[in-house]
Amino acid sequence: MIRLFHVYKSFGSKNPALIDISLTVPKGEFVFVTGPSGAGKTTLLKIIFCAEKPTSGHALVDGRNLMRIKDGELSSLRRRIGVVFQDFKLLPRRTVFENVALSLEVMGVPPSMIRKKVHQTLRYLGLADKEGYYPPQLSGGEQQRIAIARAIVNNPLILLADEPTGNLDYDLTMETMALLKEIHTRGTTVIVATHSQELLKGTRRRIIALHKGRMV
Amino acid sequence: MKITFFRYFVRQAMRNMVENRLVHLIGLGTMVIAFLMFDAFILIFVNLNSWTQEQGRSLTMSIYFKGEPERAVIESIKKELLQYPVSTTGFISKDDALKSLRKQLGEKAGLLDGLGENPLPASLEIVLSRDVSGDSLPYELKTRLERIRGVDEVQYSQEWVERFQAIMRAVKLIGLVFGGLLFLAALFIITNTVKLTIYSRKDEIEILKLVGATNRFVKIPFLIEGSIQGFLGGSVALIVLFLVYVAIITKVDLSIGFASLDIIFLSPQFILLLLLMSSIIGFTGSTVSLGRFFRI
Ligand SMILES: Nc1ncnc2c1ncn2[C@@H]1O[C@H](COP(=O)(O)OP(=O)(O)OP(=O)(O)O)[C@@H](O)[C@H]1O
Ligand SMILES: [Mg+2]
Repeated sequence: MIRLFHVYKSFGSKNPALIDISLTVPKGEFVFVTGPSGAGKTTLLKIIFCAEKPTSGHALVDGRNLMRIKDGELSSLRRRIGVVFQDFKLLPRRTVFENVALSLEVMGVPPSMIRKKVHQTLRYLGLADKEGYYPPQLSGGEQQRIAIARAIVNNPLILLADEPTGNLDYDLTMETMALLKEIHTRGTTVIVATHSQELLKGTRRRIIALHKGRMV
Repeated sequence: MKITFFRYFVRQAMRNMVENRLVHLIGLGTMVIAFLMFDAFILIFVNLNSWTQEQGRSLTMSIYFKGEPERAVIESIKKELLQYPVSTTGFISKDDALKSLRKQLGEKAGLLDGLGENPLPASLEIVLSRDVSGDSLPYELKTRLERIRGVDEVQYSQEWVERFQAIMRAVKLIGLVFGGLLFLAALFIITNTVKLTIYSRKDEIEILKLVGATNRFVKIPFLIEGSIQGFLGGSVALIVLFLVYVAIITKVDLSIGFASLDIIFLSPQFILLLLLMSSIIGFTGSTVSLGRFFRI
């Protein structure tokens, strides 16, 4: 599903954010990416959903070579990848409902279907009563779960979650992790980036550890 | 295009306009001014053009008589005219001429009371229907008519019309240049308005792209927005122009006292054309600024 070959990424003249990353994530796997702040976790995810192009190396996602992907292919690939951004990236001037609906709207899903799916997803995340709110009116934890809702509402093939529990208390963290696992059991390939050792404690999942841009 | 997409695009365009209403209002105002100048120019041009064409197409000739003409004289003139493309003839007797002058003078008609004898000549006005500009026919007719006994003088406006037509050709050229400049100005304004709204929505565009929106999906609402804005600017400009037009013709009627000044407004076809053009300018302006944005 995801293959990286000797991927390097540098921003300007600073130390590279990613150095010689090669990895394979097969379809249906659940993987953690971990490492201290600045290790390159977000950059790695960005490479995968093609928000950044590798400086060198190759990246294949769902059979597409990201080095030479065309605009049209890129957007259709992104519709198959749900992303929970570290900074949420919600639209402040659109309601919770509209934010979540966005993933479906770009696909041209009919409005009645959009309504059904969005309600279902918001209920699933316990946010049904918040659909008319605007993101700035919500707590950090609520915004984070809206971001999760937007990422999963269109049943993506791949789910990339960047610190999905960063703003959540213990109970909600556990709840959210259970949710991600449930999405995983439905067949979605899941990659969770986190610097929290708590989250990894006792897990039998594969862990990709990064340190200063290198896999360790 | 799927209907759901279309609904989304229109909704989004409307929403952008409401949310960025200040930018839009300023843009709209500037555009109205540009379109108004353009439309006013077209209106003046259309009037001048139709007027000269009218003059060129139907040449008016006035045959003045010495004193009150005898019936036989008029008959022989009419016989003479049979071979010519004359559409209408109208006889104006000395009395008629005086009456119409009185009417034109209105309150000042008293001035005429001092005159002992009616000084105005009787005349026959004829209109040559065919396009006779640049033709020797009017001159030929003039000399033939002046040979008839009882006819004093024959006048026609040919020379003057020809000169005017030359002026109109120059006006057309100036109009082309001037109109082109105004067109560019409108385009420039709309390009910048849309650019402002695009920049104020940079984050939104980025997020849309990240959740898998195609470039087209992101662009189309802006194109609709630009077209609507162009259309609105064009409509407001035409409405303002129409109000000015109404104000001018009523003013002219009041002050001169008779409506010999025939100003026409733009024909419905012309109005549609101008509205279409404004929308296209709006659309093009958006396309240009989007092109720049998406290349960055
Ligand atoms: N757009 C960018 N321009 C310049 N440098 C960048 C950019 N994005 C990331 N970097 C640099 O790349 C390095 C890795 O950043 P990245 O965001 O991937 O870290 P991270 O592991 O996600 O950290 P955190 O846990 O704090 O989110 C950092 O040194 C960062 O400064
Ligand atoms: Mg990060």
